[in-house]
Amino acid sequence: MQYLLTSICSLCMVYSGWFIDRLLGKEKRGKWLTSGVLLLTLALVATLPVYGTSYAPILMTTIILYIILAVSWTMFSGPTGYMSLATAAFFGVGIYTAAFMAGDFPPPVFILVGGAASFILALGVGALTLRLRGIYFAIFTFGLVELIRHVLAFIELHVTGTRGRFVFGVDNETIFYYMLGVFVLLMITAYFLNRSKFGLALRSIGEYEAAAAHTGVNVTMVKIVTFAVSAFFMGAVGAIWATKLHYVDPGIAFNPLFTFIPVLMAIFGGMGLLYGPIIGAAFFTLLKEFLTTTLAKYGLGELYMLFFGVILVAAILFMPNGVVGVIQRLTQKWRKGGPVEEHADT
Amino acid sequence: MSKRLLLIPLALLLVFSLVAVSCDGDADVTTTPPPTETTVPPPDDYDTRTSIVIGAARPISGPLNMIGDYALGPLLDIWVDQINAAGGLYIDEYDRALPVELIIYDDTSDLGTMTTLLERLILEDQVDFIMPPCSTAFLYAAAPIANEHGYIFLGGEGGCTTLTALLPDLPYVFGVLNYSDYHQIPALADLFVEWGVETVAYIYIADLHGIEYAHTSESEFLLRGIQVVYSEGVPPEAVDLTPQLQAAMNSGADAFCAYTYPPISIFVYGQAMGLGYNPDVFVIGPGANFQFYYAAFGPMTEGLIGFGAWNRQTSPEANALVDLMVAATGDAGLALYGDEEGFLDWWGQLFYYGALQFFEQAIVEAGTLDQAVIRGVMATSTFDTCLGPTWFDMRDGGGGLLALECHPGQVGQWQNGIYEVIGPAANATADAIYPKPPFPAP
Repeated sequence: MQYLLTSICSLCMVYSGWFIDRLLGKEKRGKWLTSGVLLLTLALVATLPVYGTSYAPILMTTIILYIILAVSWTMFSGPTGYMSLATAAFFGVGIYTAAFMAGDFPPPVFILVGGAASFILALGVGALTLRLRGIYFAIFTFGLVELIRHVLAFIELHVTGTRGRFVFGVDNETIFYYMLGVFVLLMITAYFLNRSKFGLALRSIGEYEAAAAHTGVNVTMVKIVTFAVSAFFMGAVGAIWATKLHYVDPGIAFNPLFTFIPVLMAIFGGMGLLYGPIIGAAFFTLLKEFLTTTLAKYGLGELYMLFFGVILVAAILFMPNGVVGVIQRLTQKWRKGGPVEEHADT
Repeated sequence: MSKRLLLIPLALLLVFSLVAVSCDGDADVTTTPPPTETTVPPPDDYDTRTSIVIGAARPISGPLNMIGDYALGPLLDIWVDQINAAGGLYIDEYDRALPVELIIYDDTSDLGTMTTLLERLILEDQVDFIMPPCSTAFLYAAAPIANEHGYIFLGGEGGCTTLTALLPDLPYVFGVLNYSDYHQIPALADLFVEWGVETVAYIYIADLHGIEYAHTSESEFLLRGIQVVYSEGVPPEAVDLTPQLQAAMNSGADAFCAYTYPPISIFVYGQAMGLGYNPDVFVIGPGANFQFYYAAFGPMTEGLIGFGAWNRQTSPEANALVDLMVAATGDAGLALYGDEEGFLDWWGQLFYYGALQFFEQAIVEAGTLDQAVIRGVMATSTFDTCLGPTWFDMRDGGGGLLALECHPGQVGQWQNGIYEVIGPAANATADAIYPKPPFPAP
């Protein structure tokens, strides 16, 4: 039952991404009608705790977490082509912020502070590194994850003398709504970012950075600010996620998988449109849940990474533009060879 | 028009924010008050129930799998098979014996996945009982969740002073394994004093387990006038420990301890042999306590010390458990290690199986599947298990720890291919070898 409900809710979230893409596209017909549908779909997701099983909002929380990580990663790396591997760093900063604050402050405060801490960190890191390109930038951002993890481990060991941190729990329903709230905020931000001159500048950087600079775009500033905005969302959901973990230490908070999994999700879904990473995140989260639980009952649970690997290899070989690319091709065929609708990058 | 459109999601955001804030934003841990025994109502599913379902989120894949598969993991299957072979668990309120069904989900060695799956087992699958995840940090995270839902939480591979401090607020939590200050490092330090060890060097993995062992060592050694001349934390994914081993060797310490998890525990010993580092006392744990350690290093392990501890000589019941393990995992052990005891863990398995037998008897004694009633029985009863008379020391009306008197041993040492118990003296199955003999020629 939870698969059905969470799949429907995931489709609703895909729809919300598609709706934003549509708003940004040239197609003007029926937007008011689709906005009404958007309202209904979001209401369907928001009321999941009312009509769903007790576990459905918990699973949906995990799905939304990965959606936010994948979309916020795509927000920067998609249009610019800069491969950031710092997701786990910003996510971990959010987790540790909650670990420090959760007992003394209400969730909205530590979620905002978690996001702000990641934002500020990304501003600093971006200012230092966004002049680097290609593999150098990717390596530096991944190094950031390790750097912060080891610095925190050192502090825990030698300064505070602590051994990880207990994180005060928040009930599952509240976590779900905060996660959903951050998702809505992310969608709105993505819309404004793409619609603005800022978004145009960002896309121009991805297409030809030197040309963008010659036309007067302050490329460094645009990259840094976008990098920081995407980091804000990663930090905010990290702070929310920490309340589910109950215990964190540097190894748990700065787990490199939180860098790689959202990237793989975005690649699978397709990075050209907003709803692509949403499809990838929802699909992989549900697939993992199915493989590690339902298949585990038949002794096949350990095969989940093998499944992941095969699907990703197949996706990269046969769907270079992800699921979104396939959908676009099918749509084109359906329209009997008509031109593919132009979409703005996320 | 598009600007008007934007009002909709903005309004939605506002609505969600208000809903979220109006939801319970109380960040306090939900602690279930200590239950009181009540009259057991007749079960609604008297006619339809066909089994007792026990669930667990365990590391079937990922780095923790190396511990889980050699510790509690195989015992869960053996325990369930034993119960079912005997016709199931007789539950008085059902007037019949019910077979036990085990559901194991793969937490992929990820803490977030484990907490999610644990809640799935409780809320979605509505299992009757849960079993613990693997490793100290995971136990620490899972215990409050189980307690919040009113599920009995029997400890597994791990234990820490930090969790012990929380026990008064966690009445459903029953710690099983011994750990640093309960009562391993004190027992080890007593042996050091007996042997005349004056200086110690140690390394530890920088996680909850390692840091606690390091802190406890510092205080227990200091208490006995033993000087710590070198200590260093290493990351959990460390592979090359040569620099730390070299530094420990240079320190000239009488004893060296590695508070590390496998596979680091394997790297440590292999790299120490490569360096020719063989101090008078060499302690590794967890790691040295596994039979596969002997399979890997053979006679090179002579005199190596680990934690635990138990063996076939501990008791007839312990001997019977080894036979059970060999029957269940002997073929796999032979295939992997050329040793039918290859899946034996001489630290925790007797603890775990004793706790499972205790739990089983508590359920039957309670005559119900009601967690609160069973918890009450567990908190106040003593049952005979493979550990002998077994009970839990309860903490201020909260949760409890397996009583120290039930522990089969704290410190073990490899002697002629047997992991002998050497401390405390009351549990010893052999005299300790001191100093550690040189590595035999390959």
